[in-house]
Amino acid sequence: MPHHRFECSECIPEREKHAVVKGPGEDLTDALPLGYLNTIPGTISERGCAYCGAKHVIGTPMKDVIHISHGPVGCTYDTWQTKRYISDNDNFQLKNTFATDVKEKHIVFGAEKLLKQNIIEAFKAFPDIKRMTIYQTCATALIGDDIGAVADEVMEEMPDVDIFVCNSPGFAGPSQSGGHHKINIAWVKNKVGTVEPEITSDYVINYVGEYNIQGDQEVMQDYFKRMGIQVLSTFTGNGSYDDLRAMHKAHLNVLECARSAEYICNELRVKYNIPRLDIDGFGFEPLSSSLRKIGIFFGIEDRAQAIIDEETARWKPELDWYKERLKGKKVCLWPGGSKLWHWANVIHEEMGVEVVSVYTKFGHQGDMEKGIARCEEGALAIDDPNELEGLEAMEKLKPDVIFTGKRPGEVAKKVRVPYLNAHAYHNGPYKGYEGWVRFARDIYNAIYSPIHQLSGIDISKDEIATDKGFSTQRMVSDVNLPEEVKNSETLRQYTGGFDSVSKLRNKTYPYLEQRAASVEA
Amino acid sequence: MEENVLKERVAQLEDHILKKCLWQFHSRAWDRERQNENILGKTMQILCGEPVAKETAEDRCYYADAVCLADAYKERFDWINTLNVAEIKEVMAALKERIDYVTITGSLNEELTVKQY
Repeated sequence: MPHHRFECSECIPEREKHAVVKGPGEDLTDALPLGYLNTIPGTISERGCAYCGAKHVIGTPMKDVIHISHGPVGCTYDTWQTKRYISDNDNFQLKNTFATDVKEKHIVFGAEKLLKQNIIEAFKAFPDIKRMTIYQTCATALIGDDIGAVADEVMEEMPDVDIFVCNSPGFAGPSQSGGHHKINIAWVKNKVGTVEPEITSDYVINYVGEYNIQGDQEVMQDYFKRMGIQVLSTFTGNGSYDDLRAMHKAHLNVLECARSAEYICNELRVKYNIPRLDIDGFGFEPLSSSLRKIGIFFGIEDRAQAIIDEETARWKPELDWYKERLKGKKVCLWPGGSKLWHWANVIHEEMGVEVVSVYTKFGHQGDMEKGIARCEEGALAIDDPNELEGLEAMEKLKPDVIFTGKRPGEVAKKVRVPYLNAHAYHNGPYKGYEGWVRFARDIYNAIYSPIHQLSGIDISKDEIATDKGFSTQRMVSDVNLPEEVKNSETLRQYTGGFDSVSKLRNKTYPYLEQRAASVEA
Repeated sequence: MEENVLKERVAQLEDHILKKCLWQFHSRAWDRERQNENILGKTMQILCGEPVAKETAEDRCYYADAVCLADAYKERFDWINTLNVAEIKEVMAALKERIDYVTITGSLNEELTVKQY
């Protein structure tokens, strides 16, 4: 598996160790990109900072919390429009964002007084919210503000509130991943075990590393509840602060994004003997296998199988409609961390696309091991790419679509490569059986959008054909399909609604009661 | 079992684990050792029809992964259903050795030996 040197990065020779091509007959022991290292000077990285990883990825999806950044107001930029971790309490944590608005004078004279004033003001402005997380930023960390002491002072004065301090300034790690680590460890150390929960089922899990992007958590929670499983807490999408203080009472930690949240699972295993089960919520086969495993763990496999059978029968014909039209399309799978391995194999198997490249902005070498293992031969794997490398890879690999974040995604669009938002999704949720069909539909729409016929034409010089009309998506996607596929009576396009999540919020569940006196934890 | 046959069969089983499973890639070497030992050990017991410990929560967690792996093997690789117990043990021992090499002893992941999580 040879390392790959980008032409645009020849002046940064250290970059060569960060990219490999998966060669025939080679395995992970031949070469592995370096990862989770400080960005090399001279390369324009696409990473976020450790504050961003702690707050904008993991902290803020907690729904019933005032999330306040102690720093300049710009630090709290990512909110309603850029993040899509919705919640079932009218998206309180997305609609409202708080910062102490630190200025030069506070850097000179200290900002602790300002912080205390802001905390009290925020609680008074939202009297129904009694929980808060304070995020340290670079500026206030450098001047040495003791936010823990301020939080303690407020909690003494306002006994009905509880405050969590997240000390992860932007410089506290090579990338956002450093912040994931810090907030995981701080939560388990300072908050887990401080609330005793009400147990309502014989089967109790924490759902960990799940951020409810466009409703992912609610889709998965629906399956768990249909199995009679109590989701004691979700770390952290649509999760409640106090539920997460009670994580120690679960029987099993079901881990989705190991990149951002394996730390808390590992610590819970060591400290409370709660085992960790890694799952995939994406794709029919991985999801089915995941539900089965949880069912086997609790001895309720039949309940899992009933869901698998029902959902597969309902949605598989729709997935296969898209698969027929996506076969052989080339994909660059360029997400932030975990999706490179969640998706690398299953989009190939269940949608027929070819993954020609995987990259990760903040993944560790372990993520590359998983991602490279799961993609096919010939794929180019890149750690912490810069923008020029992304452009060079697209020019060389000529993908039909890339799955990435909105910043590199906009770069791709400028070179006429369609992109799908791998972080916040286009028309998610993408988890669950229906969600996977929604993802396939988004890929289809991205690749076959009629805009591509027009966007490459320069009306100032190109000839415009006047003898033929405009081609619709179906005319383009079906042109080479066999008649039996084109006219299939079993395959069909997505038939779900615009909103596949809200309907789940008022459901009732038959199995959710505690039967045995206790279940061994 | 002839060496080339054993090698080919182990490669198929390895490929399935690497493409479909996540348990083998925990973040530290000691975790990977524990995962490989328990899940592959239980998978072998299931395939051989031997009793499998599942009294503790930890055991049940390994067991859940092992059941799914054993089922996938039986479904995808017809040849495994034709082996006797000794042959299954031979293949699974070779598989364990190979998975340990790819994920632990031969791994280039520099974080495997970090002391804390």
